[in-house]
Amino acid sequence: MNLIAKRFINFYHLSLIFFVLFCIFFIQNTFSAEGAPCKDYGECDEFKHTLTDMSSLQRGASTYLTYCYGCHSLEYSRWNRVASDLEIPEEIFFNNLVFDASVKPGDLMAGSMSKTESAEWFGVAPPDLTLVTRLHGSDWVYTYLRTFYEDSSKQYGVNNLVYPGAAMPNVLASLQGNQQLICKQIPVIAKNGGEKRDDFGNTITKEKCGFLSVESGTGILNKDEFDKLIYDLTNFLTYVGDPDKVERERIGWYVVFFFIIFTSLASLLYREYQKDYH
Amino acid sequence: MSTITKVFDWVNHRLPIQNTYERHLSKHPVPKKVNFWYLFGALAAVVLVIQIVSGIWLIMLYTPGEAAFASIEYMMRDVDYGWVIRYMHTTGASMFFAVVYLHMFRGLLYGSYQKPRELVWIFGCTIYLAMMAEGFLGYVLPYGQMSYWGAQVIISLFGALPYIGESLELWIRGDYYISGITVNRFFALHVVALPLVLIALVFLHLVALHEVGAGNPEGVDIEAHTDQDGVPLDSVPFFPYKVLNALVGIGVFMTVFAIIMFFFPEGGGYFIEYANYEEANPLVTPDHIAPVWYYSPYYSILRAVPDKLGGFAAMGAAVAVFFVVPWLDRSNVASIRYKGILSKIALVMFGISFITLGYLGTVSVTEHRKTMSIICTVIYFSYFLLMPIYTSIEKTKPVPDRL
Repeated sequence: MNLIAKRFINFYHLSLIFFVLFCIFFIQNTFSAEGAPCKDYGECDEFKHTLTDMSSLQRGASTYLTYCYGCHSLEYSRWNRVASDLEIPEEIFFNNLVFDASVKPGDLMAGSMSKTESAEWFGVAPPDLTLVTRLHGSDWVYTYLRTFYEDSSKQYGVNNLVYPGAAMPNVLASLQGNQQLICKQIPVIAKNGGEKRDDFGNTITKEKCGFLSVESGTGILNKDEFDKLIYDLTNFLTYVGDPDKVERERIGWYVVFFFIIFTSLASLLYREYQKDYH
Repeated sequence: MSTITKVFDWVNHRLPIQNTYERHLSKHPVPKKVNFWYLFGALAAVVLVIQIVSGIWLIMLYTPGEAAFASIEYMMRDVDYGWVIRYMHTTGASMFFAVVYLHMFRGLLYGSYQKPRELVWIFGCTIYLAMMAEGFLGYVLPYGQMSYWGAQVIISLFGALPYIGESLELWIRGDYYISGITVNRFFALHVVALPLVLIALVFLHLVALHEVGAGNPEGVDIEAHTDQDGVPLDSVPFFPYKVLNALVGIGVFMTVFAIIMFFFPEGGGYFIEYANYEEANPLVTPDHIAPVWYYSPYYSILRAVPDKLGGFAAMGAAVAVFFVVPWLDRSNVASIRYKGILSKIALVMFGISFITLGYLGTVSVTEHRKTMSIICTVIYFSYFLLMPIYTSIEKTKPVPDRL
């Protein structure tokens, strides 16, 4: 017993292992958080923001203010902050993107619809979207906006794969076209991983449903153009959710660099002093 | 005599500056050989200062009551560098618990609670208890969905108490449901009452520690071998030697702190939960209510017991049991290095069960996970309750005389 203990259970190692486990717990918890999965769509499509791409953010802002802002406020964000962060000259911004003449530059983007009335009209007031990308994640928003499909059983004739039963019309339908859920014949996969074939060498298929497909010619934009539009829109919402992210990370490098220098100097000094008693 | 010396002497005759400096810093003996586990106390003190300072600035910007949520977004957006202050405080909260858990684990590892350090340990446990209350109250203040529903879960636990339950619940909330009124009182408790308690306890923790002296990983009593002046041979003065040692630790810690604060302030939804980016809504229950990570082991224990009152009692017992550890450990050695195999296995099992419970507390319950949490709860309590047995029957190794 004691021999085994000596060999394998050196406590110092055990405590190190414990520490590592603790770290793994952190890492695992930190990076495999139970985010909002995209429900019927499965895993959300990945969204990589580009918060320094001003033209993308500007296009996103324009789409938002044209199509979304009528119902969805950005009530924690201010007009002139958006204009200056997105490098849009105030005159151009207020003449072209702000459709309410009573708005002052420093106002919050509080929306144009009364919350109580809209709750009566829609059953639920359209939520404020300032923090939507922080609440659900940008991946979720990017996927949600692209997964509306026609469903005549719903109030607005559309449903959504990511948010089944979403109580909003597909505002961007004229751009995207009519998207439907269709069934497809897909090859049956044999046990060896290849496609199953019949005696004549034809691939055996089975029907699988739930694929999104846009009726061609019904939308103003093609698929790539529409995805790009949603990309810019999500990028803009990512910015609105966390407007200081770029600045924060820029400063962060200096702070981390400072503490690394601090630590090195402190350890050199400590080593000098250690000579007194070693 | 120069003027500065004169002034210093004048003050020193009226206030024990020189004495205190010598007694607690320049002549305070600390063991010369300790390891990194002995840094977490100093780090906890650093985080306490960070929390107090950032907290004071937060109070300048925060509005309690129903307007709380909007005031957080106001400070994050409209106040120049308001986000620095707020993220410092949120990162600090998680880091506080991280270093305190490691600090407590060090105590279990090297028997820091053993005679004559029982009171140091008990003050420490009380600090931990006060921190849990402080953290909970602070978590309600942003008034997001998770603030609201987390508070709902915790306050309703008091409702499970027989006879007084319901009226106690009402008394805590100050309203028939959680509202701006609840936020107001939690704010008062979070920024005045509990910080005072915490600072007083930290002071007592340090006074008691300096009375009995710091321990070491060998569990050697350094006071046993002293020079002719009564200074332990295996010690060095706290200042400058240990202060410099701590400074290196603080440097490493602050680097990690800065990386989290500037690059991952949400900690993947564990330091700031995503659901808290939605304002509190009494009409909509979130799909999945999870506490912040540092309470999750206890939340798991709560959920492992089917009965609400029983769960509450188990959760309380899980924290309370720390207080009696000095009397549960019957070993004749302090450090795990000289304890027997049973203690080693017990401590590792405890560590694993604590982490597993922590993980389980953050995810939704399934049958399998529930069984796991029951098993881990049993291991958690066995570590403490069986301690008098396994520490007294196992064979220990001889402890060296000197460090």
